Formats: sequence, C-alpha cells, structure tokens
Amino acid sequence: MILDSYDLPDGFDLDAEICIVGAGAVGIAVALSLIDSGQRVLLLEAGGFEPDPETQSLYAGQVDDGGLHPPPDHYRERRFGGSTTIWGGRTMPFDAIDFEPRPYVEHSGWPIGPESLRPFYAHATRLCEAGDHAFTIESAFDGPRRPMIDGFASDHFTTNTLERFSCPTDFGRRYRHKLEAAKDLRVLLHANVVSLIRSESGTAIRCLKVRTLRGTGGLVSAGRIVLALGGLETARLLLASQVGTRYDVVGRYYMCHLAGTIGTLRFSGPAASVWNGYDVADDGTYCRRRLALRPETQRELGIGNFVARLHHPRIPDPRHHNGILSALYLAKPLIPYEYRKRLHGNDAASFGIWVRHVINVVTDLPETLRFMLHFLRYRRLSERKFPSIVIRSKANYFSLDFHAEQVPDPASRVYLIDETDQLGMKRIGIDWRYGAKDVETVSRSLALLAEDIASSGVGRFDYDPASVEYEMTRYGAYGGHHIGTARMGCDPATSVVDTDCRVHEISNLYVAGSAVFPTSSQANPTLTAVALALRLATHLKEGDS
Amino acid sequence: MKQRIVVLGGDGFIGRAVVSALDDSGWAAPVVAGRRARSGSERVEGVVVDATDAKALGLALRGADGVVNCLAGPPAAMIAAAENLFASVVDIPVVHLSSMAVYGSATGIVDETAPLRADLGPYSEAKLRAETVAAAYPRAIILRPGCVYGPASAQWTERIARLLQARRIGDLGAGGDGCSNLVHVADLAGAVLAALRTPAAQGHRYNLAMANAPLWNDYFFLFARALGAVPIARLSQRRLVIEGKILAPPLKIAEIIAGKAGFKAIVPPPIPPSLLRLWRQEIRLSAAKAERELSLEWTDLSRGLADAAAWIKAAS
Repeated sequence: MILDSYDLPDGFDLDAEICIVGAGAVGIAVALSLIDSGQRVLLLEAGGFEPDPETQSLYAGQVDDGGLHPPPDHYRERRFGGSTTIWGGRTMPFDAIDFEPRPYVEHSGWPIGPESLRPFYAHATRLCEAGDHAFTIESAFDGPRRPMIDGFASDHFTTNTLERFSCPTDFGRRYRHKLEAAKDLRVLLHANVVSLIRSESGTAIRCLKVRTLRGTGGLVSAGRIVLALGGLETARLLLASQVGTRYDVVGRYYMCHLAGTIGTLRFSGPAASVWNGYDVADDGTYCRRRLALRPETQRELGIGNFVARLHHPRIPDPRHHNGILSALYLAKPLIPYEYRKRLHGNDAASFGIWVRHVINVVTDLPETLRFMLHFLRYRRLSERKFPSIVIRSKANYFSLDFHAEQVPDPASRVYLIDETDQLGMKRIGIDWRYGAKDVETVSRSLALLAEDIASSGVGRFDYDPASVEYEMTRYGAYGGHHIGTARMGCDPATSVVDTDCRVHEISNLYVAGSAVFPTSSQANPTLTAVALALRLATHLKEGDS
Repeated sequence: MKQRIVVLGGDGFIGRAVVSALDDSGWAAPVVAGRRARSGSERVEGVVVDATDAKALGLALRGADGVVNCLAGPPAAMIAAAENLFASVVDIPVVHLSSMAVYGSATGIVDETAPLRADLGPYSEAKLRAETVAAAYPRAIILRPGCVYGPASAQWTERIARLLQARRIGDLGAGGDGCSNLVHVADLAGAVLAALRTPAAQGHRYNLAMANAPLWNDYFFLFARALGAVPIARLSQRRLVIEGKILAPPLKIAEIIAGKAGFKAIVPPPIPPSLLRLWRQEIRLSAAKAERELSLEWTDLSRGLADAAAWIKAAS
C-alpha cells in the first residue's frame, strides 16, 4: 500500500515492526526482501513520485572546495526511486582484494569477507536488471568473443572482466507495483525524517520524527529501523540526531572515486584488432570489458584498485575531427548537468572552437547521422538503453578513461553546518579530500599500462605524467558515489556499524548502503550496496525466526 | 481387461497427449471422442460426437469405464458439454479438466482451498460454471492446470515462440513479473492417468503447475535461448500498451478471417490485454496436493523447453 503524508492529519502516530528510511535502490531492495516475511514494514520516502524542486532543495549544502566536489544536491535525487531515477546503470561486484586489510592502504579491510556477500550478488544483479551475475567474458558468453586488444598480454592488467549495465532501472518505477500489492507493507511518501529519538536508556531508537513540507508531521515508532539514505544523508541524520557519534567517526572517511580521461592510445594494428564496444549478452544486457589492475600487482606495488577503459578523444578539443563528438559538444545545453560535466569539461568555449566543431559535423555528416539514428533508436527510444557513447576509431586512436579506488581518510568528511533547511534540519558541509596514495595509485597504474602496451608491441600510450593529478581531479570527486560515512568495523572507535550493519551503540538501528563500505574499490557502488541490503534483510528476517 | 476410457476432446492438443498416455500405460483402452475423432493410431478407437448434443454424447459414453473431459471451445459450448456429460454418467470416474482461470485475479500462493473468483471474463466464468457442474458428481476428479506448454501447444509454445522470434516479447520488466505456472503437456497427461487410477482422488480438486515454475520473464528468456532467438528485447510498458490496445484488435480480426480461410499461420499473433494482465499476475499455484496424492513429478524445465524448441524447429 502506498500512502502520502500529505493525507495524514498533523501529529500522526504510526508504527511498524521494521521501518526503512529511504526508497532508493537500497531501501526498495530491503523492502522487497521483507515482503511476505510476516513483518509489518513501513518504508518512508521523503519525496513523491515526481521530482519536486522544493523537496530536492532539502539536499542543498556547502562544499569546502567547489572545484573538488559537486554541490550536495547534485547526483542524488530525493524522490521515490532515489538516485536510480538518474543513474547510469554501471554494475560490477567488488573484487576479493577490496575486502582485505592491506598494509599499504591505511584504514583498509572489511570485517566481513567477499564470501559473505557472494550469496546475495546474483539476486542484486537481477534486481538491478543487469542480467546474470557473470562478470568475466568467459562466464558471460558461451563462445569466444573477439579480444579487447588483439596481441596485448600483460602480467599487470587483465582484459576479461566486465562491467554490465542496468537498463538503467529506476527502482521506484520498476518495483512500485510490488510495493503497492504487498500485504503488511506500507510506503509513506513526502515523509522527511528529521530526527532519531532515543529511548530513555539511550541504547535504542524509540521513534523517528517526521516532517512534511506542508508544515505537518508526526512520529513513527518501529522495532527496528534501517537507514537507506545514501552516503551523505545517512551521515546528516546521524549527526543531527547525535546517534552513533560518540567516537566522532560518523561522516568521516568519506570517499568517492578518482576518475578521469587522459592521454592518447594509438594501436598499430588494423581497427578490427581493437574492440572498445559492447558485447550484448543473451539476456540483452550490455557488457563491456576493461583493463583491470591485477590484485597481485596492487599488492606488489602497494597501490589501490584501478580500472581503465578505451575512450573517445576529449570532446572539447576539435582536433579529433570527429563529427559525432563535435555534435555532442554542440548539444551541450541539452545534456543534463550530471553527464555534461565529464563530457565537456570546464573549458571556456571560444567562437573559433565552436566553428571548428561545426566544420567537423559537416565534414563527417554521414557518420554523424548514423550515430544520431542509433542514439535515437537504441538510447532515447529504448527501455534498455545503449549505455554510452562509443566511437569506433578508424585510426585506432583512443584516450584512456580510468576509475580508481580512493583510500579512506578520516580528514575527508561530511559535517553539519549552522544553516538549516526549511524543516529546521542542519545542512551538510562537504570537505572531500584525496591524498598522495590516490595519486600514486593512478600514476603508477598509468605508467605500468604504458609500458605493457609498448612491450606487447600493440601500440603506444602517450600521456604527460606531470598532468596525472590535474586530470584525476579536473572534475573533482566522481559524482554520485558517496561512500564510507558510516563505515563498518568491529571497533566502535573507528567504525559506526558492526558486521550486521547495526550501529554499535544502538540495539535497533541499522544502516544499509554505500555509507557502510569501509573502502571504495574500483567498482561503482550500487550493486554492492544492493547486495549488502539483501544481506541485511536476511539478517532482519532470520533474527526473528 | 483394459479400461475403456472415453476422452472427450481427444482430438485436441491436450486430448491427444492424454490419449497417448493412456494408450502407452497398457492399463487403458482410450477412445477418442470429438468433432473430428481422428485418433491418429490404428489401435485407438474414434467416435465422432458433438458433446453439446446430450443424446449423442450419451451414446458415445455407453460402456465406458471412465471419462476424461478435455473439451475446449466457446464458453457456452463448454458449459453445455459439462452439463450433458455429468447428466449422462453413472458411477464411473470422470476426470474434468478445469483451469487456474477459476481463481480469477487472485494473487500470492494459491492452493485448492482458495476462493474461486472467476472474475477475468467469459472464459473464467465458463470454466467455473463447468467445474461447479462437475463438482456435484461424486466421482469427479477436477484438475486445475496452469499454462500447458510443450510440443503442439498453440498458446504457450507456438504463440510464444512466434512472439519471441519477432522480438514482440522478451524481457517485459514489471509486465512479466507474474508466475507462469507452467505445466508440461506430458505431465498433465500423466496427472490424468494417475487421477483415473487413484480411487481416493475422486471428489477432489488438484492444482497442476510445475514446482518452482519460472516467472514469465524467465520463461521468455529461457525459451528464447532454446530457440536461438537471442539477445532478447526489453519491451517498455508503453510498447505493451500499444500491443494490447492498438494492435491486438485488428490482429484478432485478421486472425479470425485468416483462420476461416485456412491461412492462420501468416497472421502475427495478437497480444490481447487479457494476456498482458496474466503475465503481470503474481499468482503461484501450489500443486503440493497433486504431488503428494497423485505422486506426480514434473518435467525439468530445460528438457521441456528443449522439446518445445525442437518441435518449433521441426514445424517450421
């Protein structure tokens, strides 16, 4: 059943056995798992079915260095479906090494191993609609596929791991009918949780204080509470309620990913010797291979996790002479902020540059039109969307797109500022920081890749080593990946939740989602956040059996 | 002495499978009774009968040791045939094939004690009426199968294959979240035989659907893979609405016209709104009672799909 707080009288009083706060990928995954479990579940969502600027503005806050991190109300959505309403759909599991305590990565090591998530990943992949849980080219496809880079052999990088793409699935739209039909489950829209109120003993949460933007409000009491608010809002609510904050860990260790596009890759073989496109699995999911740094190399060099993809040349530079890329440059005003930034950069556009892009489009017209038709049919009009812009380079000429682990650092943090939002709740400030280890991970990986490409005799990778730090932070922290602000661990002095995702000092409060990840991996967080949510749901069910 | 079992509708899709299972059992001597009454085998007797004609039906049933009612057809004919059948038989077992349609729009796990709603239109109403007639007969065994697939299944194998090959169905998202409640035609025939041979089953009702039947989305994917019709397409809800509301009515008319002219195969199958509703309906039949009391086992889905795909390939 789906209810709206706007229809409830002021001073409402609701109760449930399990209350989930936040109806994004994680909250919906927990709720779906609890259907027919015999538990009375209440799922609170701050937004409604449609985007609403006033609700979204509750996310606004401040960023210490605006060049390093996007504003807090970008790359996340306060509405039913959460940020899956805008996500790109890239899914992949964490690697086994990500869970290990690594002496060369400070504060690393999960208190649970990859085996504790393994039983949940397949279901998570399915919920994300990314097909089978098969993340190598050999396991995902029956027959042999063309090699990513023919002739490339490396002791340091693999080319057989996959990223699979969700539709991308808006969890709200996709699973709404199940939430509506479920017995013993209520969804309450426009319910902003502004505070967690402790019991008298202080060791449990007695109730949640809920406010609406129409000035009404009420209380929700629940046996157990699951916060599924994303990495930023989880920290905000815990800090505002002063819950779990005894050791000043909440909001700290804040990680995103370090990503960028760099250099020029020129392959010496024919265009057919390199495959930078998608392989389509039988179930229809788009899969793509990437260059992944082997775990043994990470250990040997003492650096973090790293992947890279073959990418098109930088869009703003018209020297690529590619009509498609120039058309994308010219279409800049039509592209949403979240995608525009990395596509176009912050370069100031001169009239001369603009004219050169127009010339590229005109001189490359047949290819540009073919691309536009493909884009229209397989992206705009398709339910399973072609995930990204893939340019087949006739000259076998690419740039390198990389995505690297950020190591945890307690000084990198989300905190409360004095300014309050419309509901009287303090807004957040973001002091995101990267460190020398992060630069080292990317620098050494790139250097190694350049060596391996040259020594395999397949071509060359040229880049300016002095520009690595600039390129990896050119657009700041990777948008939308909010990790680590309520990290999991065994020691309350250095973590917020235990191995069951329960807040150490509170007997009935759980955190689900990427906020609890102790480290960030090279992988995008959604799939692992959903897998962890399913693991938590199982714990909630078994805890009562 | 073999049991003389008259199979009404024995010339239809399910009837043929029942006749051959009875014949293979060595226990029964099946008699095909239907409008065409071709048995397809020299050993098996055939009787031409219109079951809506009470007198003719009574004659056809003379000397029978048991009856299986597999008749399909327009709602009125199904009801009339059931009334005639149960008015004619005296003290012999009758297996009456009903349908999960009697549960109507129910959702969740549904066993034989669930209320009968039959709220999905004339077909479900007729199935319930016929079943009510059957239930008044003490030696009736009522079987409520889900969707019967396998070689020669026009609805759940052939039509689905054509739609998959045309990429008109595939991954339907929320539109394919319902449970398929598949039952292989050989398993249904086996259930009929078991029902006839189990006196304790008389007076009982049994759901029939394979254990852990796949969701429709999964069925479509696995069947598409067996057919080689991959990668499957993801269809939007908007596209499905267009199928149901705009394309289905003219296709249905074309199908009827082509059917009368003998060219049914050339018309693309319609996807009526009732079918779209079924694919969404989260009803899961519990066949635990049939498994227990009739000692049924289910054809493995991968084998069933391989058979079905082989039949499709041979037929085209």
